Amino acid sequence: MHKFVVSIFGADRPGILAAVAKAVSQKGCNIENVSQTLLQDVFGGLLVISAPDGAKPQDLEDALRADCAELNLFLHVAAPVSHETDAPKEKTSPYIVTAMGPDRQGIVADVSACLAAHGVNITNMQAIFKGGKKPLDNLMIFEVDVPVATQMETLRRGLQEVSTKLHLEINLQHRKIFEAVSSIDN
Amino acid sequence: MLSNKEIVSTLAMVQEENLDLRTVTVGISLYDCVSDDIGRFKAKIYEKIVRVAEQLVPACQRIERKYGIKVANKRVSISPIGVVGAPFSAADLVEVALTLDAAGERLGIDFIGGFTALVEKGMTHGDRALIEAIPEALARSRCVCSSVNVASTRAGINMDAINLMGQAVKKAAALTADHDGLAAAKLVVFANIPQDVPFMAGAYLGVGEPESVVSVGVSGPGVVKNAILRAIQSDGTIDLGRISEIIKQAAARLTRAGELVGREVAAILGLPFGIVDLSLAPTPNENDSVGEIFEAVGLPAIGAPGSTAFLALLNDAVKKGGAFASSNVGGLSGAFIPVCEDLTIASAAAQGDLVLEKLEAMTAVCSVGLDMVAIPGDTTPEMISAIIADEMAIGVINKKTTAARLIPVPGKKAGETVHFGGLLGEGPIMAVRRGAETNRFVKYGGRIPAPIQSLVN
Repeated sequence: MHKFVVSIFGADRPGILAAVAKAVSQKGCNIENVSQTLLQDVFGGLLVISAPDGAKPQDLEDALRADCAELNLFLHVAAPVSHETDAPKEKTSPYIVTAMGPDRQGIVADVSACLAAHGVNITNMQAIFKGGKKPLDNLMIFEVDVPVATQMETLRRGLQEVSTKLHLEINLQHRKIFEAVSSIDN
Repeated sequence: MLSNKEIVSTLAMVQEENLDLRTVTVGISLYDCVSDDIGRFKAKIYEKIVRVAEQLVPACQRIERKYGIKVANKRVSISPIGVVGAPFSAADLVEVALTLDAAGERLGIDFIGGFTALVEKGMTHGDRALIEAIPEALARSRCVCSSVNVASTRAGINMDAINLMGQAVKKAAALTADHDGLAAAKLVVFANIPQDVPFMAGAYLGVGEPESVVSVGVSGPGVVKNAILRAIQSDGTIDLGRISEIIKQAAARLTRAGELVGREVAAILGLPFGIVDLSLAPTPNENDSVGEIFEAVGLPAIGAPGSTAFLALLNDAVKKGGAFASSNVGGLSGAFIPVCEDLTIASAAAQGDLVLEKLEAMTAVCSVGLDMVAIPGDTTPEMISAIIADEMAIGVINKKTTAARLIPVPGKKAGETVHFGGLLGEGPIMAVRRGAETNRFVKYGGRIPAPIQSLVN
C-alpha cells in the first residue's frame, strides 16, 4: 500500500464528496484523511488515500475524471510531497494571529510575509471581508506555530509595523488563552 | 476548533477590556526564621524572602512576553509578623518593617504584605507591639502593607484591639500628613480575614498555608461591564436572571485566564500554585471601574437606591462563575467597592450620590468592605474605631469577610479631594456624621461576644 493525495476543486453542489469517495473506493483505495472547505461558492477538498500496490496516480485520476465528469471538477492525484529529513522537528508554540480592519490589496501578503520572516508557520488561515465596521466582518485569523527560539518581542514588533503600515489591528496571542476561556473542559 | 466569535471575544477581553493579572503574589512562610535576637531575625527573613521570590519579577516578565497579558503588580505575602516577631518591642518591629521594605526593593516588587496581627479574641505581647509599631512602620517604608484581624464569627469582636486600631489609623495618617495620610492607605482592619488573599493591603500567608505558594489575583471590571452592555444591546427582553448569567460567564472566563497564567508562573518559580482570586478590583482608569457596571445596568449612579440589590447580584454571580471555572478559588473573590481607587465610585461620592452610610450598607453584600475611604482629618480615633466596629459587626453576623481601610486626611475636610497616586488613586473626602465628637460606646472595650451562629459544632 502507498499513499496518494487527491485534490478537488469545483462549484459547490450536493454529491461531490459522495461521487469522489465512491470512485476511490471502487479502485480499491481507502480514504485516510479528508479536509474540505467552502469558500463563497467554491468547494475545495484534499483527501489522503492509501492505494493498492502497483496503483498509479494518473490511472486513478483518469478514473475519477470519468466517474465525476458531470460534476465539472478540477481533479488531481499525486504522490504526497514531504520534506523528510533526519533533523529533529523544531519545537514550536501554538499562537493565533488576528488582523482586523478594512480590506485592501496586499494585507494577506504583508502579514504572512512578516510571519514567514520570523520562522512562523501558518497551520490554518481564514479571512472574512464583508465590509462595514463589525470586527467579525473584517477579520483574518492565522493559526500559527511559533518556534520556541523566536523572540516574542521581535515578532510582536514586526507585526506592529505591519499593523501601522496597513491600518489594521493585529494581535498575537497564545492559543492556550483562547482555549482556557472558551472551553468548559479544563 | 475555536470559532471566530470565541477568538474575537477573547481578544476583546484581553486587549480592550482591561483584563489584567492584577497581582502575582508569592506567599513565604517565615516560621523557620524565628529568633529572639532581632539582628538574627532580620537577617534571616531578608535572606529567605529574597531567595524564595528572587525569580518573581523575571518570571512575570516572561509570562507577559508569552501571553501579552500584563501582570500589574508583583507582591510577596509573609507569615504574620505579630506571630513570628512575637519576642520583639514596637521599636524592633519598626526595624523589621524596614527590613521587609529593603527586601521588597531588592526584589523590585510592588508590595509586601504580612505586617499583620490576628487578634480577634485577644492580644499577645507580640500583637500589641506590632499594632503599636504600625504607624511608624508604614510611614517609614514604601512597600510594606499591614493588616489586623480584630473580629471573627467564631470569636466575636475584640473592641480593645479596635480601640488601638482607631489610634493606629489616626497616627499613621498624621505621620504622613504631607502625603494626605498615605500610610493609612496601606493599613486595613479585618473581620474574618482570609488566609490566602493575594490582594493588598490584606495579603499575608496564613498559619495553615504551605511553606511557599504562588497565588494570583485577577481583575477585570471592564470585561464584566462590556459583557453586560453587549447582552443588553442584543436582547431587548433581557432580565436580571439573564444578566446574572452573563456575569457568571464573564467571571468564569476571567478565572480561567488567571489560573492558566498563575500556574505557569508557579511552574517557573518551582513553587506550588495556591489560589486564584477573581475580584472585580478597579483601578483609577476608565473602563476599569466597578462603578461603571452599576451605570451599565441602569442605576443613575452607584449609591442610588437599587445599588445594594445589584451589588448582591454582582458579587454572587462573580463567585459562582469563579467557583465553576476553578477548584482553586480563594481569597476574597467578589466585587470590591473602593472609593478612591475607582473613578466612578469616587465621582459618585464627590457628587453626594454615595454617602458613607450607604457605602456601609453595600459592604454587607460586597466581598470586602469600607475600602479606601478618605474621611475628614478631624475625625476622632474613637469615631474611627466606631466605624471599624460597625463594619466588623456586618462581617461577623453575616459570616463573611469585611474590612475597613480608612484614611483620616490630616488638615482636610469633607468634600475636599485627596490624591494618593498609582493604583491607590484619588477621590473626595466623605463626611462622617458627628465624626469630630467623642464616642463613649467604643471606650467600654472588652469583647462583643461571638454571635449565636458561631455555635455550629
